[in-house]
Amino acid sequence: MGGYVQGVLVLLAINVISAYAAYLPIAAGQLNLGIAGFMAIGAYLSAYLTNELGVAVLPAILAASGLTGLLALVIAVPVLRTSGIYLALATFAVGQIVEATILNLRIVGGAAGYPVSHYVGLPMIAGCAFGVFVLVFVLFRMRFGLCITALHDDAAVADLLGVNVRAYQTAAFALGSAIAAVAGALYAHHFSYIEAQSFNVLLSIYIVLYVLLGGTQTIWGPLAGAAMFTLLPELLRVGAEWRYVAFAVILIATMAARPQGLVTAAPLRRLFAARRAAP
Amino acid sequence: MTESGTLLSIEGLSKHFGGLTVIEDLSFTVRRGARMALIGPNGAGKTTVFNLITGAYTADRGRILLDGGDITAVPSHRRVRHGVARSFQNIRLMAQLSALENVILGQQGGAHGLLGALQPVNLLPRNRWRAAARDALAAAGLADYADLTVAGLPYGIQKRIELARAVMAAPKLMLLDEPAAGLNPTETRALERQLAVIAETGVTLLLVEHDMQLIGSFCDRVVVLNFGRKIAEGTPTSVRQDAAVREAYLGTQAE
Amino acid sequence: MLLQQLINGFALGSIYALVAVAFTLSIGVLNFLNFSLPAIFMVGGVATWALLKAGAAWPLAVLGALGAGAVLSLVIERVTWRRMRGAPLFVPLVSSMAFLILLENLVLVQWGSDLQQVPSPFAEVNLRFFGLIVSLPQLVGLALSIAMVFGLDRLLRRTRIGRALRSIAESSDTALILGVDVASVVPAVFVISGLFTALGGVLFALTYRQVHPFMGQEVALKGISAMVVGGMGNVWGAILGGLLIGVAEVLSIRFLGADMVDIAVYGMLLAILFVRPTGLLGGLALGKGRV
Repeated sequence: MGGYVQGVLVLLAINVISAYAAYLPIAAGQLNLGIAGFMAIGAYLSAYLTNELGVAVLPAILAASGLTGLLALVIAVPVLRTSGIYLALATFAVGQIVEATILNLRIVGGAAGYPVSHYVGLPMIAGCAFGVFVLVFVLFRMRFGLCITALHDDAAVADLLGVNVRAYQTAAFALGSAIAAVAGALYAHHFSYIEAQSFNVLLSIYIVLYVLLGGTQTIWGPLAGAAMFTLLPELLRVGAEWRYVAFAVILIATMAARPQGLVTAAPLRRLFAARRAAP
Repeated sequence: MTESGTLLSIEGLSKHFGGLTVIEDLSFTVRRGARMALIGPNGAGKTTVFNLITGAYTADRGRILLDGGDITAVPSHRRVRHGVARSFQNIRLMAQLSALENVILGQQGGAHGLLGALQPVNLLPRNRWRAAARDALAAAGLADYADLTVAGLPYGIQKRIELARAVMAAPKLMLLDEPAAGLNPTETRALERQLAVIAETGVTLLLVEHDMQLIGSFCDRVVVLNFGRKIAEGTPTSVRQDAAVREAYLGTQAE
Repeated sequence: MLLQQLINGFALGSIYALVAVAFTLSIGVLNFLNFSLPAIFMVGGVATWALLKAGAAWPLAVLGALGAGAVLSLVIERVTWRRMRGAPLFVPLVSSMAFLILLENLVLVQWGSDLQQVPSPFAEVNLRFFGLIVSLPQLVGLALSIAMVFGLDRLLRRTRIGRALRSIAESSDTALILGVDVASVVPAVFVISGLFTALGGVLFALTYRQVHPFMGQEVALKGISAMVVGGMGNVWGAILGGLLIGVAEVLSIRFLGADMVDIAVYGMLLAILFVRPTGLLGGLALGKGRV
């Protein structure tokens, strides 16, 4: 497999993981505009563990993910007391603060960036992407997924039925952040160098945008969105900035014409399930 | 009447929103196995009473006792575990899910916590939760609709699915908010039969209703509210003849 | 020394205030967090630079930049808002984010990512009094932003269009029934907020004499913090919030170091969201807490 194709697949895999990281809170009705911050925490934690403490790569990534999830759990307590636009703004603020804090941490290089040892290649990254997909797939096929859908569609009734809305939202937020950490860590170990400035609000915006472009009604939407975002420029063969211009235009058009995104539930239901026609 | 015969006891319940008092010092009891109706003119506070019992609203004063236990301070998402279930005036099913999935949601009371969240309800093609939900739908005569998306289904069918969802929680007390609203006479009779079946299994029913015929033929006791206070209580017949009730509904011109 | 810092803080804060007013108007009237406003801020600054570099006199450059901001706002209203009837609430937010990306990258394509020096005619025009230095653009910025907020407040409270805006903020359905021509009043919201934020960009360009494609992200996003601190939907809150954030930024550079600025500014945002989300001037002046 050529180096160019490998490079594209690596990006695709990391974008898929990021997509599911954003998808979990969105499915529970929350917009996490600080998701890049959790990617950064995962990246820097994993890098530190392998650089300074000699931990092997896979345990480092998992540990970084777990620690980030725990941190997200702590942050979720006050943040999830807000809702709607306040929640989006709170997550945005968290992301900005994380980026600024890392910039000040001399121990991990500060503004100069941080080199990362222990390279990971496509097989590991693709494996992780597959693993994340399977995890989300299975989770949403359990009662967890049903409850998340319920609280997203009608939180008052879900609560009445016995769904602990706050607990589920917290779980979705923390799990999403842990998955974001995996994406960040893989990025760090593959490109062997990270800087806080690349984990900024723009990255969070891109991720949220391509997840919403793909569609959030089913678990296939984030996959479609990540694929679209990664592969479109390769198809168009245009320079970096034009790729984002094209992406933005497509997004604006999609939101105007088909706000539910590319992949929606109804056609999927017709395609996959053997449902009898209504009498 | 022994104490254990009382399932629900509302004691001195009060609720206001800002300066507006919606429920004022309300007290009544519901006997175990009863079919009770809560009636009153619009704005009397009937739906508010339901919301207080389910915990959607928190009472300002008073107590709510269910089966001897004080549930006044129990958070709303836990009340289903104490045996309260509710249906809604305008149907509130999850429109994009199938009838089966809606009924599976009704199992949440027994499926709370981490282990509950991990039940593979949609993962394994045959599992006990799907089976239980399918049985519940079959018992309500809705087996054919199990795998259909709720959104496209007729109003009457949706009402019955919502009822099946409420029954799935194996409640002790079922609160029904205008179950006959929007139903024609045939559908209302079918509803009455379904409610009778549910009552046979020992569930206590508390209905908010305007359909006096249904109340007359189905319910054994009626509580009348006006402006958030209880103004009468008794059998459907006695309440119909009560002067205070007539005044509330018809104005000062009592016949 | 501290007084000088305060003056610098107020001057910077007046720019934040302009952006905050733009955000707050949009949220208050339309319940819309308009993420394209930072992009219009950037366009205001970049257009000023481009026109000055092309040799235009400064009044023309300023008017051109403001015009660009107004036109962009109308385009965004057309494409983002007008089509959103009945769509879920996140849709306009997402669309506006896409506009941010679109405009940033278009500017990148056209002029590259470097910082550009603005050939300001007001360079070295400073006023000195009592040992304090204020540059002309700083002074103008401060005076102008307060004047404009005053004007906006007047508009909202005394004019027909202001009443229309306030009624839409309360309930656009009721406003429609009462005969308000919602469809033609809503663009006014976009144009007014666009002008405010574009002016912020113009003033930034003339005061600090540097523009770059990401200045919207780095500067104008702090306007969100200012808006929330002051109170969403309250235009005087936007001024208060803006000045507070400006002073906080300048003081944190002075005492904590330049790298701590974002922590201070966004820390304030987070703190307010946790402790008193309605902001300092609590309760909305426009609308009734629909957010």
